[in-house]
Amino acid sequence: MASHNVARTTRVRTEEQRLQEIEKINKYRGLEDQIRSQAALGTYTLQLYDLTTKLLRLNPEYYTVWNVRRRCLLSCLLSTTTDQPASDTQDATPGAKNQQSDGDVLQSEVAFTMPLLMEFPKCYWIWNFRQWLLSQAILRLPLPAARKIWETELGLVSKMLNRDQRNYHAWGYRRYVVAQLESPELDGKSMAEDEFAYTTTMIQANLSNFSAWHNRSLLIPKVLEQRGSDDKARAAFLAEELDLVRDGLNVGPEDQSLWYYHQFLVSQIVGDGNGQSITPALTVDEKITYLKREIDEITDLLEDYDDIKWIYEALLEYNLALNRLEDKSGGAGNLQTWLTKLRALDPMRMGRWKDVEQQAK
Amino acid sequence: MAQATADTKSPGLATDAHVKYVLTLDTKTDELDYWMTEHLRLNGAYWGLCALHFLSHPEALPRKETIDFVLSCQHDNGGFGAAPGHDAHILSTVSAVQILAMVDGFEELDARGKGKAVVGKFIADLQNPDSGSFYGDEWGEEDTRFLYAALNALSLLGLLSLVDVDKAVSHVVSCANFDGGYGAKPGAESHSAQIFTCVAALAIAGRLDLVDQEKLGRWLSERQLPGGGLNGRPEKKEDVCYSWWVLSSLQIIDRVHWIDRQALIDFILGCQDPEKGGFSDRPGDMVDVWHTCFGSAGLSLLGYPGMEPVDPRYCMPKKIVARILGE
Amino acid sequence: MESLSDTQWDVVISGTGLQQSLFALALSRSGKNILHVDPNEYYGEAEAVLSLQEVDEWAANHQTAEGDGVFAAARATRPGGAESLSSRAYSLALAPQLIHTRSELLSKLVSSKAFRQLEFLAVGSFYILQPKATESSSASSLSRIPSTREDVFTNTTISAKAKRGLMKFLKFVLEYDAEPQTDVWRSRAGDSLASFLANEFKLDADLQAYIITLTLSLDGKISTEAGLAAIHRHLTSMGVFGPGFAAVYPKWGGLSEVAQVGCRAGAVGGAVYMLGVGIKDVQKTSAAAETPEEYNVVLSNNMTVKSKAIVKGLGKPTGEGRRLSRLTAIVDSSLPSIFKTVTEGAPAPAVAVVAIPAGTALGEDGVSSEYPIYALAHSSEAGECPTGQCVLYLSTLTTPSAQAHLQKALSSLLASLSQNSQEPPKVLYQLYYEQTGVDTPSVNIDGQTAEFSLLPLDLAFNDAVLDPVKSAWEMVNLNATDEERAEYLVFTDREGADAEDEFDD
Repeated sequence: MASHNVARTTRVRTEEQRLQEIEKINKYRGLEDQIRSQAALGTYTLQLYDLTTKLLRLNPEYYTVWNVRRRCLLSCLLSTTTDQPASDTQDATPGAKNQQSDGDVLQSEVAFTMPLLMEFPKCYWIWNFRQWLLSQAILRLPLPAARKIWETELGLVSKMLNRDQRNYHAWGYRRYVVAQLESPELDGKSMAEDEFAYTTTMIQANLSNFSAWHNRSLLIPKVLEQRGSDDKARAAFLAEELDLVRDGLNVGPEDQSLWYYHQFLVSQIVGDGNGQSITPALTVDEKITYLKREIDEITDLLEDYDDIKWIYEALLEYNLALNRLEDKSGGAGNLQTWLTKLRALDPMRMGRWKDVEQQAK
Repeated sequence: MAQATADTKSPGLATDAHVKYVLTLDTKTDELDYWMTEHLRLNGAYWGLCALHFLSHPEALPRKETIDFVLSCQHDNGGFGAAPGHDAHILSTVSAVQILAMVDGFEELDARGKGKAVVGKFIADLQNPDSGSFYGDEWGEEDTRFLYAALNALSLLGLLSLVDVDKAVSHVVSCANFDGGYGAKPGAESHSAQIFTCVAALAIAGRLDLVDQEKLGRWLSERQLPGGGLNGRPEKKEDVCYSWWVLSSLQIIDRVHWIDRQALIDFILGCQDPEKGGFSDRPGDMVDVWHTCFGSAGLSLLGYPGMEPVDPRYCMPKKIVARILGE
Repeated sequence: MESLSDTQWDVVISGTGLQQSLFALALSRSGKNILHVDPNEYYGEAEAVLSLQEVDEWAANHQTAEGDGVFAAARATRPGGAESLSSRAYSLALAPQLIHTRSELLSKLVSSKAFRQLEFLAVGSFYILQPKATESSSASSLSRIPSTREDVFTNTTISAKAKRGLMKFLKFVLEYDAEPQTDVWRSRAGDSLASFLANEFKLDADLQAYIITLTLSLDGKISTEAGLAAIHRHLTSMGVFGPGFAAVYPKWGGLSEVAQVGCRAGAVGGAVYMLGVGIKDVQKTSAAAETPEEYNVVLSNNMTVKSKAIVKGLGKPTGEGRRLSRLTAIVDSSLPSIFKTVTEGAPAPAVAVVAIPAGTALGEDGVSSEYPIYALAHSSEAGECPTGQCVLYLSTLTTPSAQAHLQKALSSLLASLSQNSQEPPKVLYQLYYEQTGVDTPSVNIDGQTAEFSLLPLDLAFNDAVLDPVKSAWEMVNLNATDEERAEYLVFTDREGADAEDEFDD
């Protein structure tokens, strides 16, 4: 119902094609009717389960059918557990229970969704179903087996992210899988270091991968805490991160992702009260020193890149922050020069530059 | 990308074609795609009805049939499925409530449906009592989209008191990121559509004081690309639906003037199919009802002449929201 | 069955080189009567791959300085005396070429569905072999050429300042053929790319060498215009088929495979194939007013056939050709260091490119080559040698000392690849020869006869090679409608893959 990236074409069907399509519709609706009428009776049988397999392969967006499939699994494929949420499947005949162990069932379900996920990587319902399957593994399987399934899942997420480095679902799902693998339920321990290294790899493959930069910003406090970093180590860490993003800006000064991450680091220096500070123990003088260094480095970029609006914006912002730290009133020295540049290079946001000027007065 | 503006200097809004497009949507029963998208039927009805309202043709869809269809999707527990025979979900439930609000049908909901109170209870039961966030249905997926849907529907029904609004608000706050934006859950990357759900939820709850409006406005205004269109995240392509997500959020925090209004109007108009009607994600792509709704909503927010003003929190006509909320 | 000489042929094609084979592919759905012959006993002509035994025979037949007009001065040797190499375990390409992912050849292979019979391997990193300045020894080292922003970002040997110049250039190239970039280079289009890089982007000699290597320019003196086009092709090809590579190589022998797929399509379409048969003579029948012109074609087996059209290769240079010296070596190591995957999620490369820029000292005596030397390294994944070995294809423009330079380049390259001061990898077999080619491919059309010139000697496939094929196709389809022209090399799958009903599983 929402088409993306599909070229507009005039669709002309011959009568034959129209009849063929109607034939397909009839088959599809026939399958759908069978599922609905059986589900309406509340009998979640193996036969119904097989019908959901057929339909979901045709249309994985059909969330109701995913729900029917879950009910079938609970009613005739998975063993009964006490932890199950109440459902209307209690009267299913125990004899229909499959002999397969829960582990095999869950594995084969995971395998079933795999090709669907590859074909429809942005379909919420497939991701949800997998998440449900994996939570069932924790409920039902011995710990090592459950852990194995979740570890395999992390591999899958990496694969998905290699195919589409910005997939919003995949990144969210990755954080979810990692959190589970770290949890006591799976006898886990922190994976912050590995995940931090993963963001480095992804960034080295594509500097514009803001999803990776974002995740990195979340992992930093965990990594520092886990390393038991003292103030000195934290300062060194901050310096390394600044070097990294500055190296990025050196080759990609037009890249928003890099500037957002730089702004994040600067907010950590300035300590504007947003999120946990990387180096909580900076004195005001130290903050000023750090900030001045960044301003100098950015100014240096102008030598080779004089037509990049982000540089002027950063100089403007960071100098205003510097003024606040130094408790100086009155605008930053070159405020007017930078604003003039910004208006010329970025006329689309003219209204914003006017507001900035107004505020600075 | 640049030629989008050049080609469409002033093609004008093809209102009649768009109205016709929306009205033909329900006649395409000999196309497989019609049946394959049934899981979005109620949402589709909401998008279509919205588009008609924004295009100032609210009368085009027959009221009684619309209400009949909406009520036919309701379950005993009060929730609505996407179509008869589809499971209840909060996303189709909010669409049902919004449609009924637009056709002034709450009385019919009480008289012929399961009633407002049961709908309210269905939604309220989906709140996670620990975090304040909301599930989509009984299977437990959580997302700020669902929280927004809950606050939207409950406020229209006058039943916000059924849920813990403060907790919901603090959940939204926990989804804020360093860049000023919001994600689908705590820790998730900022995304324009999720920002809309979070900011609009806070607006409905009357807690816009919790938004870092300066930072958010900056991030949102950077979504506009040289071709005039808006994208959903840094370094992504533009798409008409973000005309709504980004623009409505900018409107809520009063910063629409931070982007180039004319360039965006040109981009949106460039995405319409002037002959057959409807809007697409980008110029030259297939149109659909979703982009038609958000394309026309965007134009309305931009003050395009002849359009019905839209409420940025609800994506519904302003006057209808004002009537219902008594604002 | 109707005999060959009784058949009224629509086209006789001579030679199974790439162009004739693509031509056969283009006509494979036309229903025309086609006779396709090749005087060689193998497919592919100058693009062929040969087993070791075939190479030995081929070398013996191409020993002389004149050779057959294309290949000459061939010499095969087994430096290690390894007589036991299994001939069939090897297939050496006579003229291997990379194909950029944005090449028109690939889109034609896709639209014609011929790609289904091909397996494409990734071409990985490009390196430069540089003498180690710091050490007294003569050892050289390989530097990987950064060609994406992320490569430049992770590179630790280029200064921050130089990186900016490089990035500005890479960005410039991406839209080099639009304003305002054209204003910058048009007036200097004929200048050398090296001077343009120095003057406009302040790139130092090392970075200039990097960029020029990416152009694969044979003489290293590529012009600004041609150089920008080549770099543009390289950069825009990066990532098109997947992360981390800009070019592919068809497994089992590169363009030879493409040629064979073309011939196979021709055969499936009903063309008759004869190897070991060439055209000896052609006589035009006098054309009466109402009957179209026809040819009597005398084949090398003395059979005479009648055809409406003839398509063949000239097989020798017209006027001044270019000459390339080639040294192909089989080495006893898998050389893992040059086939490393450097991009997350990228396929393992089967081909690597090493350049030794002009003027680089080769070995201890400081001799240097006037022209760059290129080595295409093929891992065993390319299907040309057994596991644990590699094939190195070295080439440089022919000069009196080219053979000696190639030999030294091979030794330096192997020395730089020996790990931890162990013995360098050994050469098991090597083949030297010279190949003549042209700068720009052309076709000579006379009535209903099309004669292709020699191919260019490029190391990366040149899309201009496709133009003569299209011209020949137009020659035999004089009255083609616009629709037929639009369908040139656009076919559906023969198996009818879309006929299967997804609703019945």
